[in-house]
Amino acid sequence: MKWIYAFAITAVAMIVGAAPVRAADVRAYFFYGDGCPHCAKEQYFLETLKDRHPSLSVYEFEVYNHPENVERLIKTAEALRIVVDGVPFLVIGDQMFSGYAPGTTDRAIEQRVETCKASACPDSIAQILGVAAPRPLGSPSPGNGDAVSGMLRDALLETPEETAGADLPVVPDAGSASSAGGVASSFTVPIIGSFDARSISLPFLTVVMGLLDGFNPCAMWTLLFLISLLLGMGDRRKMWILGGAFIAASSAVYLLFMVAWLKLILFLGFITWIRIAIGGVALVGGAYSIRSFFTNRDGGCEVVGEEGRRKTFERMRSIVRQGNLWFALGGIIALAFAVNTVELVCSAGFPAVYTQVLALRNLVAWQYGAYILLYIFFFMLDDLFVFVVTMATLEMTGVTTRYVRASRMIGGLLLTAIGLILIFKPAWLMF
Amino acid sequence: MKVLKFGAVWCNACLVMRPRWKEIEAEYPKLQTEYFDFDTDVDAVRAYGIDRTLPTFVFLDDNGKEFLRLNGEIAKEKLVDIIRERMGDV
Repeated sequence: MKWIYAFAITAVAMIVGAAPVRAADVRAYFFYGDGCPHCAKEQYFLETLKDRHPSLSVYEFEVYNHPENVERLIKTAEALRIVVDGVPFLVIGDQMFSGYAPGTTDRAIEQRVETCKASACPDSIAQILGVAAPRPLGSPSPGNGDAVSGMLRDALLETPEETAGADLPVVPDAGSASSAGGVASSFTVPIIGSFDARSISLPFLTVVMGLLDGFNPCAMWTLLFLISLLLGMGDRRKMWILGGAFIAASSAVYLLFMVAWLKLILFLGFITWIRIAIGGVALVGGAYSIRSFFTNRDGGCEVVGEEGRRKTFERMRSIVRQGNLWFALGGIIALAFAVNTVELVCSAGFPAVYTQVLALRNLVAWQYGAYILLYIFFFMLDDLFVFVVTMATLEMTGVTTRYVRASRMIGGLLLTAIGLILIFKPAWLMF
Repeated sequence: MKVLKFGAVWCNACLVMRPRWKEIEAEYPKLQTEYFDFDTDVDAVRAYGIDRTLPTFVFLDDNGKEFLRLNGEIAKEKLVDIIRERMGDV
């Protein structure tokens, strides 16, 4: 009888040992790069997928900053007998998904998860990745995903940064922190409490940044001086035309700058050092704004650049006194371009930082345009208010500076936060 | 008592302060005030060392001696308190 028991136990053990992953347990191995927009989108999708399929476990491997994960990726490719030349790269039940296109890849991924839930899928790379006991090798499925970058594999190996922890990066729940480069979107801010970076909507961020940038007092002094000159003209039609032209030209300068900057960022791609440099600009701008909060406590106008200001005023006077409206119009537009180009430096990097954030979102062309226009509208809102009210009442009107100081602190903190995110966790800005 | 008001047409906070002073001047007709433009009244600007922030309000006593200087956007109530303290309810 003993040998019958022994045989039965051995048989059961063999069956259990040879069994693939149980039907309810689905593992996904996700290779991504910190700062890669497609990866961020897929990462977000995988987290939502986990909500719908709690039995799904996602194992994350950041490859830009973790060379050991590049080695894992190479070994995975060898095991599946495929060529990997970019991230995002996902493996579920020995089927790979290279690249990520919303609407197609996500459907295929979910379908694969459902298939693996219903009937166990082979999982031949678990051992390679050190996730669990070896699984029977199944037949690899090459898939048909498109590569993100042909140069990526080489580029990945050129980032010999330290490994942030030896544990395998597993993301058990959306929003919780993961080790070794896993992306967590949820964090705690003192006083404010728990905060999810992904809950920040782009339209909200656009409005807030546009308003804070617009509160910048140095953006308004030329308009105020122009209005004071226009009030002395007595010709309401000319006042509206010249003042309106100045505001429109000022908006155009901002538009041109932001579009050019956005194109540059999109053209250069997501080069890490550019993103880090812009993050640095945000940190410097943030520190400057916070410093202003403490140094300019009375909310007054700082007296700086007297010589340049006087020259601008002289030019403006001569332009407004032009008898010919067309000459005056041309002069005002030229002056608006000149003054606002110089004053861009004064904006503490807000437009450059915002366009970098925008570039990370991977939008279509018209959406980029719409967001930039929205930003400029809110940036110019206080100028528009002052101009329209003054023209309507024929009395110079100011906007209370009570909130300027608060806006400096809020703007400074916002720029600092964005700077840190751009440098350390750019994926948080990609949703 | 006299208040010297230093401001500029390009300074937003100066524009905000204009109507406030207008109201105060109407409520306290005995209060003497004088406005100096930062860009045109260069002598007065230099004499009082206005080189940091606008608007600046210099408060002079009856002997013409400065006893207080305020910068930036100031609440009307605060200005009224200072005037009442010096001039009483006039």
